[in-house]
Amino acid sequence: MIIKVENLTKIYKTYERGNTFREAVYSLFVRKPKYVEALKGISFNIEKGELLGFLGPNGAGKSTTLKVLTGILFPTDGKVDIMGYIPWKNRKKYVAHIGAVFGQKSQLLWDIPPIDAFYLNKAIYSIPDKSFKKTMDYMVDLLDVGDLIKKPTRLLSLGERMKFEFIMAMLHNPEIVFLDEPTIGLDVIAKDRIREFILQMNKEGVTFILTTHDLDDVERLAKRVIVINHGQTVFDNSIDALKNHLGDKKVLSVSTHSPLPSLEMPGILVKNKISEYNVELELDVAKLELNKFIDYINKSSTINDLSVQSLPIEDVMKDLYS
Amino acid sequence: MISAIKMHLQGIKTGLAVRMAYRADFIISAFIMLISEFFGPLLTYLIYNNEASLPGWSMYEVLLIQGVFLLSKGISFPFFFGIVWNTLDRVQNGTFDLLLIKPRSVLQMVIVTGFDSEDLGKLIGGLALTGIALYRLPRPGLSEWVAFIGLFVISLVVMFGFALILAGLGIVWIGNYRVYEIFSSIANFGMYPASIFSKSLQTVITSVIPVAMLGFIPASALLGKPYENTLYAVIISFMFLFASLLFWNTTLKKYTSSGG
Repeated sequence: MIIKVENLTKIYKTYERGNTFREAVYSLFVRKPKYVEALKGISFNIEKGELLGFLGPNGAGKSTTLKVLTGILFPTDGKVDIMGYIPWKNRKKYVAHIGAVFGQKSQLLWDIPPIDAFYLNKAIYSIPDKSFKKTMDYMVDLLDVGDLIKKPTRLLSLGERMKFEFIMAMLHNPEIVFLDEPTIGLDVIAKDRIREFILQMNKEGVTFILTTHDLDDVERLAKRVIVINHGQTVFDNSIDALKNHLGDKKVLSVSTHSPLPSLEMPGILVKNKISEYNVELELDVAKLELNKFIDYINKSSTINDLSVQSLPIEDVMKDLYS
Repeated sequence: MISAIKMHLQGIKTGLAVRMAYRADFIISAFIMLISEFFGPLLTYLIYNNEASLPGWSMYEVLLIQGVFLLSKGISFPFFFGIVWNTLDRVQNGTFDLLLIKPRSVLQMVIVTGFDSEDLGKLIGGLALTGIALYRLPRPGLSEWVAFIGLFVISLVVMFGFALILAGLGIVWIGNYRVYEIFSSIANFGMYPASIFSKSLQTVITSVIPVAMLGFIPASALLGKPYENTLYAVIISFMFLFASLLFWNTTLKKYTSSGG
């Protein structure tokens, strides 16, 4: 077990300001404290080498959890043990073993080439010359950015910059890497390259904790998913279990040669009846097996075309977020 | 220790590279920084050239105080005073967190990433002004030089204390760029001879907030007429540093418990 989180709680103290002019002036002198429970006792464990999707709607407590796990924030209560460290107590020693990529906060330096920022990181982490060069060359090669490394960061595209953000975060060979929206705003090709890089590094033993709203990222990368909402864990299981969370359902689009029979039967939920011959529906295969459904339609109306898809993961997320 | 020095040197190199990316802007900014610091010495020049004076002090003696004051700023501003703007900017735009995920003390990180090369203009100005004043004054002896160097280092200690307080305020008052005005309105008392101020003000600038240490006290030692309460001001300077370190750590703790 590389990460152990037990009953993590965080209560923020904020102040109510009010929205009218009178309330705003009043708040200059008297401020009413308000306590916000961002985390209400979440617990989970992560094994070494896992690639975990950490999901939740905006304001669910994801960032707070991530900040506690990276040693930025003190929790109000609860226990965290990461590689034997308590992040907020042994911060300096602990963070030498982790890396972080934030899609919305750059660690590179805007006006100078990425390689200069890498050298600053080398000095900060005291990375020996040999290991620095080896890791940098390897990652530069893997992400195919060799000809861009000496170009000022401000002249790079978002996708190119994000590749360098990954190198910057991993030059010191961290054992755990926290990713916060790493593919935000990227085109499909850049996303693919980044995802391949993450998978490759994960294969080499790096543990990743991925926070994202991009469900494609989750489906392509994560083997296990934790979903939190309102400061509590609402789901913690494999990605396959997540897909089947709403039951083993399929989305079907059916078109027939003659008018469709009655679809009012258990296991069928008509989503869109386009015409007498054409319908989109959701099939609960636990209640009505797929082959029985096909037999039923084919017998009465002869199938012309049929497509079967799994329930979109978005539907599962909507259910968990609600 | 060696790794810390290496890191600071790399920080300076990186800071210079960042500013050199726009050469013209760098040169103009450094020049403006220098000009803006010459208001005090210019005023002194005008006073003495209009048959007025600061009682007990010749023009070049006053210019020496102001040269030392500028020299103190010229070292502290590029090398560590940048923590004020660095902290303010980072807390406001959310990148202060990035410093907390580095295996160094936060203070070291704000210094390393806060090197401010434009302010090297102040250092050149300070060297020039001190040089000119010394050229026109009797040569100080060895003991004056030794006392001066010791007290000059303490002036940097006071500057560091100020930087910590202002940076700490930057964490509490998010985005309040007025903090620098607080500093300059207080610190400027240090570039005039303390004896021209009332007794109570003299007490404040030596025993409460030791700004007299920023220019006046080290320069007086170099001139061979040390200020009577120098030892007292030295002790207060270290207490000031201690209090500002405490303040910085308190505000930092506030940040890490509230998430900014």
